[in-house]
Amino acid sequence: MKSWIGPSLGIALLALSGAAQAELKNPGTLVYLWTSDIRTLDPAYMADTPNTYVSINTHMRLLNYKGSEISEFVPALSTEVPSLENGLIKPGENGSISYTFPIRKGVHTHKVGVKGADGAIAWKLYDELTDQEKAAIVPGYGELTAQDVKYSLMRAILQGDSWMANAVTEMITAGKYPNIEAWAMDLAGVKTFAEVDAAGLAKVHDALSDKIKVDGDRVTIVLDAPFPATLGIMALPFATSILDEEWTRDQGDWDGTAGTWKQFHKPELGEDKLFEVENGSGPFMVEDWDRSQKKITMKRFNGYWQGPAKLERVVLRSVPEWTTRLLQLEAGDADVVTTPVEFLDEVGEKPGIKVTQGLPQVFGRSIFYIWPVSAVDNPAIGSGKLDGKGIPPDFFSDIDVRQGFNYAQDYQLLLDDVLLGKTVQLRGPTVRGIMGYRPDSPVYTYDPEKAAEHFKKAWGGQVWENGFELTAYMTEGNSAYHSALSLLQQNLARINPKFRLKIQQLQAATFADKVYGGADPSAPMAIMGWGPDYSDPGGPLGAATYYLSSTGLVGGMVGEGYRQLMRDKFDPLLKQAWTTVDPAEREKLYAKLQDMSHEYATTQFLWEEYGYIVTRDWVDGYVHNMIEYGAWDFYPISKAEKQ
Amino acid sequence: MLAYAIRRLSFVPIVFFALTLMIFAMQMMLTPTQRVITYVGSPDALKGGAAQVAALIEKYGLNDPFYEQYGRWIGNILQGNLGWSETARMPVAEALVSLFPATLELVIFAFVPVVLGAIWLGSRAGVHLNRPVDHGIRLFTVLGWSFPTFVFGLLMLMVFYGSVGWFPPGRLSQWAMVEVGGGGFRRWTGLNTVDALLNGNLPIFLDSLRHLILPVVTLCYVSLASMTRIMRTSMLEALRQDYVRTARAKGMSERVVQNRHARRNALLPVVTIAGMEVAAMLGGVVITETIFDYHGLGQFAANAAANLDFPAVLGFALYFSLVLVVLNLVVDLLYPLFDPRVRLA
Repeated sequence: MKSWIGPSLGIALLALSGAAQAELKNPGTLVYLWTSDIRTLDPAYMADTPNTYVSINTHMRLLNYKGSEISEFVPALSTEVPSLENGLIKPGENGSISYTFPIRKGVHTHKVGVKGADGAIAWKLYDELTDQEKAAIVPGYGELTAQDVKYSLMRAILQGDSWMANAVTEMITAGKYPNIEAWAMDLAGVKTFAEVDAAGLAKVHDALSDKIKVDGDRVTIVLDAPFPATLGIMALPFATSILDEEWTRDQGDWDGTAGTWKQFHKPELGEDKLFEVENGSGPFMVEDWDRSQKKITMKRFNGYWQGPAKLERVVLRSVPEWTTRLLQLEAGDADVVTTPVEFLDEVGEKPGIKVTQGLPQVFGRSIFYIWPVSAVDNPAIGSGKLDGKGIPPDFFSDIDVRQGFNYAQDYQLLLDDVLLGKTVQLRGPTVRGIMGYRPDSPVYTYDPEKAAEHFKKAWGGQVWENGFELTAYMTEGNSAYHSALSLLQQNLARINPKFRLKIQQLQAATFADKVYGGADPSAPMAIMGWGPDYSDPGGPLGAATYYLSSTGLVGGMVGEGYRQLMRDKFDPLLKQAWTTVDPAEREKLYAKLQDMSHEYATTQFLWEEYGYIVTRDWVDGYVHNMIEYGAWDFYPISKAEKQ
Repeated sequence: MLAYAIRRLSFVPIVFFALTLMIFAMQMMLTPTQRVITYVGSPDALKGGAAQVAALIEKYGLNDPFYEQYGRWIGNILQGNLGWSETARMPVAEALVSLFPATLELVIFAFVPVVLGAIWLGSRAGVHLNRPVDHGIRLFTVLGWSFPTFVFGLLMLMVFYGSVGWFPPGRLSQWAMVEVGGGGFRRWTGLNTVDALLNGNLPIFLDSLRHLILPVVTLCYVSLASMTRIMRTSMLEALRQDYVRTARAKGMSERVVQNRHARRNALLPVVTIAGMEVAAMLGGVVITETIFDYHGLGQFAANAAANLDFPAVLGFALYFSLVLVVLNLVVDLLYPLFDPRVRLA
């Protein structure tokens, strides 16, 4: 009797194996499995790519990037893209310049304030309102206005937490102040932000307020001097996302007055009033953010001014195990998955799975040297001395150390065997397509003899004699990062067995705390990827500035020693390049800066980022924009069975 | 029996107090700079650098004597304040509470089959010593012992999800997540199966069962092996006892001898091991949770440790010690049911 069970089960398994593969599941819902996680829902607080996936879809900005273009824009909350031709960009007095944005009418946020029979205002989902309730929407409560734009920009600048918010400060002051604290200190005439008194705080608030003017349905931003990247910054999905002032105040956030802004300056994550709530006006709204399950669900906003998106829902879920992600993609339970580059070719051969490769990226991956690092209780530097059991906090201040490390990396092996020949070596801050890039600029190659030569000279010979031990940090789950550090680790040990490099993988948020979360970084070495936020290499968010300016994004996180080097050697040339008008001259200057990054071994430049996505073949509509680091704008995405 | 139970219960606060002392003492091995993170709301509070850290050390009295710091710490814990977990992006207590139901559900479904299966298989093997049944069960347990969880789990996933699509990873299907997240589904316990039944929603109940099968089977197989071997050895030992021989001499049926006389006495070591097994499972099953995309306490604890998320690690240590204390108590209270001599002692 029982003899038929085994064979029957086997046949059933085989018969069902095909059925598991191809059917379209969850129509209308896009399931995106990744290894990342988001940190906050407050667009002013966020500054990294995973968060962009949310803010770009939940909030509107004044302008958007035009498809894949990185220097062209389309209207969003602003009805027009300012230009000299349409008169919305106007030169002013004393070299200032103003940008005027006419604000679109009838744009609602996901939740709007409706007055009840008792006169109380309740925030309700716009999509669920009856016609009668729509008529009872309180003016200003959920319909975006020019005042909301002003409030949102001021709130982000005054919050001053993310470098994206600080970039807006830098833009508005035409590079004079890198953040609101510097501006306040200057106006108050003091040396630390803690010394700025109430009058000083009010003064900077008023100065900022004067630069963002509201006139009816128009917002005009007045810059002290021309700033070429202005429109690019206004289109980035971070601090320039527009909030509803009344709703934000109702959450207990800043009331918009000069006397209270300091209470909301640099809030702790959990204390930020918008940390876990969202009320943007973008095509999707946050339906659920389950932090314990690392899952965020966004639901379509039918009241979106351009009409509802094709997808009903988008789910972003963190699944750390690659095999599990792959099986879910194959089974159709996932539509998009983060894929390690080494599996790309293999995955591309599977039926029903689409690999889109060769997407341009504007940034590279590098190992950053950080000095000085915190000397107190810092396990990353061991003993804190060059005794073979640690390193001094300013270990990387010696150029021979940096050059030794750079010659100890096997770039070609990484490119060939880890990145499967899909990209090229990074030559400096600027990548192919950016001004200043030259294919023949000098690069480091693996040369153990030259590495040994430099290590023997470093720190008066102590490095070679005593050896060292230090910890390099990386974000968890990135196999290419791990390969790069492992290769360096092995090569260093081959050059001198007393050279010990330890590798520590951390979750993104913890990594951020160690590397760029404080005034005293604790990581002496970290592998990351940073890129510009517009195509010009200059300005606060340009590639050259990011890496090579004392006030740049990289400079801000890799220690005062690095910043001093930038001040001494790079800042003057960067300033010259930014103020030079002739493009040919500018190109030469940025090329020179690229060469100098090699000469001073500022960083270990590894490879140019390689762009690709892995999806089910029923997913269509992805628009890649390299300035947004490939973050998905889900509005044009559709999902339908292939015939 | 009541006196025995009271005696055992009276030990609980003492043991727990000792455990908190040990955990706090371990924490005190870190320097004030390293410990300050467990006191602040989030790492963002440390952004100001060394000066701010020094001010916070002063504010929280991290250079004060041990007993003063312990008093403040235990006071915070009693108020449910275990600090902020950067791993979970929420307070530690909230993270533990929100993840516990997922782990508990897994444990409930895995534990019952493990215990019943181990008792049955161990008894069968003991009774049929050196016969094909015994050899078969021994082979089964050796395989269970030797199979690494991640290999077994991945194999299960590839066959029963990748190939036939029966049992998907995660806790719920997408459609069910939408329904559970919607306003019509009330969350009572956080256990999907139980909540589905309480809401009278059979499709969600079946869907959550479907998602539980592979992690439960994986967990069962690995745990079953060790417990079965203990039961078998214990059963063999019991079958050699004089009282079993006496029972047989009295003419009792072999079934009664095995079930009432031998098996009941053989259960004592299994009860002890089962208690420890449940405690280990409630501490989280990292590999099983990772493979099956099942976000529970195991993954949380592992991530917290890897991220040097001190508040989360300490909070988890406290939670786990509480689990151990409670389960030890339960095991102690169960002993007299199987062995009256414990009750009299």
